[in-house]
Amino acid sequence: MKRKLAMLMAGMMLVSGLAVGCGSGEKPADQQTAEETGDLKGDITFWHSFTQGPRLEVIQKTADLFMEEHPDVNITIETFSWGDFYTKWTTGLASGNVPDMSTALPGHVVEMMDAEALVSLDDLIDDIGRDKFSEAALSEGSKDDACYSVPLYSHAQVMWYRKDLLDAAGLEVPKTWAEFAEAAKVLTKEGTYGCSFPCGSNDLMGTRFLNFYVRSGGGSLLTDDLQADLTSDLAIEGINYWLDVYKNSSPKDSVNYAVLDQATLFYQGKTAFDFNSGFQIGGVETNSPDLVDQIDCAPLPKLHADDPDYGAETSNIPMVVWANSEHPEICKEFIKKLYEEDTYIEFLEATPVGMLPSITGISDTEAYQANETVQKFSNAVDVITKTMDMGTAIGFEHGPSVQAGLLTSQGIIEGMFQDIITNGTDVETAAKAAEDKLNDIFSTVQ
Amino acid sequence: MVKRKVKFDYARWIFVLPALLIVGVLLVYPIFSSLYYSMTTKHLIKASYDFIGLANYKEVLNDPNFFKAFLTSLVWTAGSLAGQLFIGFTAALAINRVKVGKGIYRTLMIIPWAFPSIVIALSWKWILNGVSGFLPNILVQLGICNELPQFLSDSSLVFLTLILINVWFGAPMIMVNVLSALQTIPQDQYEAAQIDGASKAQQFRHITVPHIKIVVGLLVVLRTIWVFNNFDIIYLLTGGGPANATTTVPIYAYNMGWGTKLLGRSSAVTVLLLAFLMLVCVIYFTIIGKWEKEDK
Repeated sequence: MKRKLAMLMAGMMLVSGLAVGCGSGEKPADQQTAEETGDLKGDITFWHSFTQGPRLEVIQKTADLFMEEHPDVNITIETFSWGDFYTKWTTGLASGNVPDMSTALPGHVVEMMDAEALVSLDDLIDDIGRDKFSEAALSEGSKDDACYSVPLYSHAQVMWYRKDLLDAAGLEVPKTWAEFAEAAKVLTKEGTYGCSFPCGSNDLMGTRFLNFYVRSGGGSLLTDDLQADLTSDLAIEGINYWLDVYKNSSPKDSVNYAVLDQATLFYQGKTAFDFNSGFQIGGVETNSPDLVDQIDCAPLPKLHADDPDYGAETSNIPMVVWANSEHPEICKEFIKKLYEEDTYIEFLEATPVGMLPSITGISDTEAYQANETVQKFSNAVDVITKTMDMGTAIGFEHGPSVQAGLLTSQGIIEGMFQDIITNGTDVETAAKAAEDKLNDIFSTVQ
Repeated sequence: MVKRKVKFDYARWIFVLPALLIVGVLLVYPIFSSLYYSMTTKHLIKASYDFIGLANYKEVLNDPNFFKAFLTSLVWTAGSLAGQLFIGFTAALAINRVKVGKGIYRTLMIIPWAFPSIVIALSWKWILNGVSGFLPNILVQLGICNELPQFLSDSSLVFLTLILINVWFGAPMIMVNVLSALQTIPQDQYEAAQIDGASKAQQFRHITVPHIKIVVGLLVVLRTIWVFNNFDIIYLLTGGGPANATTTVPIYAYNMGWGTKLLGRSSAVTVLLLAFLMLVCVIYFTIIGKWEKEDK
């Protein structure tokens, strides 16, 4: 009996670790707008990734206000980190368990559109004012002349630096990659690192850094026909460049770093340089308030000082409405509410400079300009806004594509860096292997 | 001769039916859906898929990374299990001898089990951080290391570090179970052995071991399955890196299913894993069955 019981328990445990997959079932999307249905009535679920306190509070407050205005509407908000969110919606889609509306990343939107999981938001965009949005931001969520996402806020990757450390070393803010590497090397001393080079395979940081270099030379990690390109001269040069930075200026632990590990080093004052959006300010304010006056940002370094200005990575964080939703009209009305001037400014102020407006007519308002952080970091606002207008999401320089999403979500470029660093694999060999691996994966979606 | 009518006992079946149904659903559905999907092109977010027979198995078995992950899983399981058994068994024997405050020691030892994996992983990540981690810095300050040891990123240290963390986490469970088994051994057997002049080692070999070997055997079976299937600690600490140095089969399967979204191929990996673990269980249970027969 004891033996049978043990076998039964063992069987159950085997299964619990191995269960995968389930069927999918989709309900037809209700395309009716609020105008057609009259009063709004129904329950919706909203998944978002605004895990930090102030943003979470503004969203909840707006939802409460919306429910007060529409007593027959109930909005349930569920919050997930970006990593969990991706797992949640991909598995949810397979089982028909997705929300009515959600935030997303541009790469997610392409996959969602590819899976025909979203409803068109053209009517909502026209309602808010199509001309208020940047064309590039809208195009990131467009397919077959329909727009499936609406950007809620935007930001871009720029170079952050510690003014005090540069001054103490008598260094200028680097303008080229060569100057950057040299400055980072000089500043690596006494428990401070010049720049951490992160390449943990659970995140896209290695891809991001390589993309900076390749984009600065006018190249791309994807070819025009959407194949991975890691073996171009520029890409190989970029790989070698970051390996040198890792060797000379980075903590060795960064081989496993994800975005938060990387940012935390800068927040704590342990790195002199980092690459991030305006979210860097909030992180430093929280972790090392004394250092807030010592940080600023500048455009990404270039290959040559006289190269044209460029933007390597812009993120327009969108909202989407899911095809499974029984009440897309409520979702659209709620999204519209988020863009009302007062609400929108309050939302942006939850992470000032981190989240920049995705629509025109906000940044020059008195209320927006009155924010202390916006005033204090006006240079950062200018640098990021200018960079934002010149960049795209990684790989989106060829337009939105599933391949661009896969480029960043598979950890293959990060694995390539790890292979070179830990196993001493030759750069060209590792780059070719990673390129082939990516192209193999691309072939599964074609 | 009067023929007695055999009365069927429905009651016992009615009592166990709910449990049988739940186990059946939990056991049968995942196994058969995985088996079915493993022979299809099932994609995580695409509605349609085709039947492709054994092609996924062929792909997986031709992938050198699968075998590397399999080997890593074997070493991970054997290393963790050996360490957990040694520490857990030793701790149980020690606590069994304690006369006062046994409950306190037992509670202290079981603390790692009170925390969710995410807390354990983040705590260890913080303790072992290669820049500001407590352990690397204290080792440098004590002069044991010249530079900060990179426990989670140095390919020569990372796997051993993960195994030690898993030993720390799993040993208390072995300890508690072995301790319970030790407490069921009748004391008069030891007294009789002492009168007969048996040494401590002989008492351990001929009294202690026979009494606890079935419990230890079952623990080994359960822990083998748990440890082999363990995903969270490794994934949260290293993500399988650096350079796949800590990629076990469950992480390989996860990356296949949720990274590349090739659910069909990922299902093939899990079916192969299931087959392997069933084989291991058959071997273990054969041995345990033999022990039970010997005891009778």
